Amino acid sequence: MTGSISITRRLIVTVLVLELLSAVALIGAITVHERHVQLEAFDASLIASAQTLMGAVQDAEDEGDNVALDIREVQLPEDAAFRVEDEKGRVLGSKGEPPVWKTPTSASNAYRDVEIRGRAYRFLLVHGVRVVDAGKADGGVRHGITVIYGTPVGRVWHEVFEAIRFFAIATAILLGLTAAVMVWLVRKGLSPVYELAREAEHISSSNWHFDAPVSAQRTAELKPLVSALEAALARLQGSFEQQRRFTNDAAHELKTDVAIVKSSLQLLAMRTRTPEEYSRGLLCGLNDFSRLEDTVTKLLTLARLESHTENAASGAPVWSCSLRDAVEDAVNQIKALAELKAIDVQTEFAADARVPLDSRDALLLCSNVLLNAVQHSPEGSTICIALTVNEDKVRLTVRDRGEGISDQDRAHIFEPFYRGDPSRSRKSGGTGLGLSICKAICERVGGEIEIANNASGGALVTVALPAEPSPEGSPLPASLKVQSPYSQRRQ
Amino acid sequence: MRVLLIEDEQRLAENIAAALRETGFAVDHAPDGEEGSHLAEQDVYDTIVLDLMLPGKSGQRVLQDLRRKRLHTPVLILTAQEGKDSIVNLLNAGADDYLGKPFDLGELLARIKALIRRAKGVATPVLKVSDVELNTVQQTVRRRGKFLDLSPTEYRILEYLIHRPRAVVSQQELLEHLYDFDWEHHSNVIEAHISNLRRKLNVAGAEPLIETLRHRGYRLREQGDAL
Repeated sequence: MTGSISITRRLIVTVLVLELLSAVALIGAITVHERHVQLEAFDASLIASAQTLMGAVQDAEDEGDNVALDIREVQLPEDAAFRVEDEKGRVLGSKGEPPVWKTPTSASNAYRDVEIRGRAYRFLLVHGVRVVDAGKADGGVRHGITVIYGTPVGRVWHEVFEAIRFFAIATAILLGLTAAVMVWLVRKGLSPVYELAREAEHISSSNWHFDAPVSAQRTAELKPLVSALEAALARLQGSFEQQRRFTNDAAHELKTDVAIVKSSLQLLAMRTRTPEEYSRGLLCGLNDFSRLEDTVTKLLTLARLESHTENAASGAPVWSCSLRDAVEDAVNQIKALAELKAIDVQTEFAADARVPLDSRDALLLCSNVLLNAVQHSPEGSTICIALTVNEDKVRLTVRDRGEGISDQDRAHIFEPFYRGDPSRSRKSGGTGLGLSICKAICERVGGEIEIANNASGGALVTVALPAEPSPEGSPLPASLKVQSPYSQRRQ
Repeated sequence: MRVLLIEDEQRLAENIAAALRETGFAVDHAPDGEEGSHLAEQDVYDTIVLDLMLPGKSGQRVLQDLRRKRLHTPVLILTAQEGKDSIVNLLNAGADDYLGKPFDLGELLARIKALIRRAKGVATPVLKVSDVELNTVQQTVRRRGKFLDLSPTEYRILEYLIHRPRAVVSQQELLEHLYDFDWEHHSNVIEAHISNLRRKLNVAGAEPLIETLRHRGYRLREQGDAL
């Protein structure tokens, strides 16, 4: 796979490169140090050899109290070069081609690097005093002796290179060992990652079980990954479950409705009946069919709204309408049903605002919220509707005097088909999709819908929608205000 | 035959009950699990039609409680739930049959009849006792090949007795299995129907079929039984 990065390889290479760099630095330091040490030793041996030569200068046993060099007992390297002179410039003895070199006699040891026949030599110049006949009364004759002694410095470098070679080989062996140990260690260290991957491989939409391996849980670096995986899985599973529940519930709802329609018609066809029986049966069947139609319409509405939610980010909403108009239309629609239960619907509009909703959806939202309130209101009670605008938010509150809402229902009330009863009985009316549709409408434009209990009893539904800046054009003509198909049927 | 219908969908229950009544069953309807469980445990039903998703008490629990009390009334499950697992679980829990919604009303009736027959130890829809032949599908009765014209109640009494040949069936039992709770019933209604049934069954040269045992009830005699 191109572009893939191996942590193992990267770690090992990094460690080896670092190790190599430090080895190189170490070898450099060793070279400098070794050279220094070797040079000091070399100079010391130069001094020692020069002193030996100095010691080999003896009384010549002649008339003039001269000195002579006797090197029979002196052992010098073959390639050494020297010259021994007395104060008069007389050469007492020499070997090779030492440089001609004059220095004041007072000066101490002096060194000079010279190249002789292509070889680098280091020479030392030593001044000394030799006293002939020291036992005499005049203290003997003093001779100032100058020794120039040198040997090739090549040996120093040879030693230094030897040292470097030793360290280089040691480093190479060490690098090899480190690489092997690193491969093993890193593999072992990364094994929790592989175990985690193996465990994660088993996850599928039918098998959500994920048990993070203990090794991964115990690894500090993997813990965030493990918890992130677990959290992501939980969220995914949640939405999968919700989707599945929705599909199951929708199927259950549709099957039940179809079963009713089918049984109504089959009952009618069981035997020959009177025209009155037929017409009554047909009416019943038609009503049953309307219920099925209602469920289908609501499911399709929900599907449409939810597919729009996904596309909402793609562009600014084209539609906008007055929320006050929508509420007023909804109140008009619900009037008949409210009068049937002698419910007083009070409206209090502090302001109006345009909301980024299709007028059809706005009406659907308002009428569903209102219908819910009417359904949960006792006979002869009051429903209060209030509209307030607060900066860029418009808030619609609907208060009823019903039984309120339990905490358990509150958590699920906006889930499709939720009716606060496992049987999904329709005694309370509705398919259980109304509030889900409301929620989908609100969320589509970045609004919110909440349900809470009133301090004085009953439920309080709050719809908060983003308000559009003041209307630029004229409000929508009345002909564009679409009536909700559901409310018509209920009348 | 008396059927208990436990179904919370009002319209569906109405339709099923109407169809069952038109077929000649007595039907009691329970709209929730609690009431259904209570009625089922009276042990007066020949079959129970049980919806799974019920308020109060789930159909599964109703079934389990019924079987735990050693009541063996045949139970037909009606459900809109998906999945093979739930069917297997239900059958293992003691359900006798299963029908998914939306179902065919005719199929439901046929299955209920089959359940009752099987529970009474009969395999075919045509029941025979001595020279009387009762067709439960066509709801016709023949004696010595001759069709008899019976009223629905007379037919139901005969059908019930034929399902329990040679057993003594009390008036109380007949009442319980032929009428639902909505019905005004008195034991002398049964007596009147039995007497009519006897008369219609009386074919020249044949023995009387229904025997009355004083203070105990009625019994259907089979051929060869001594008088």
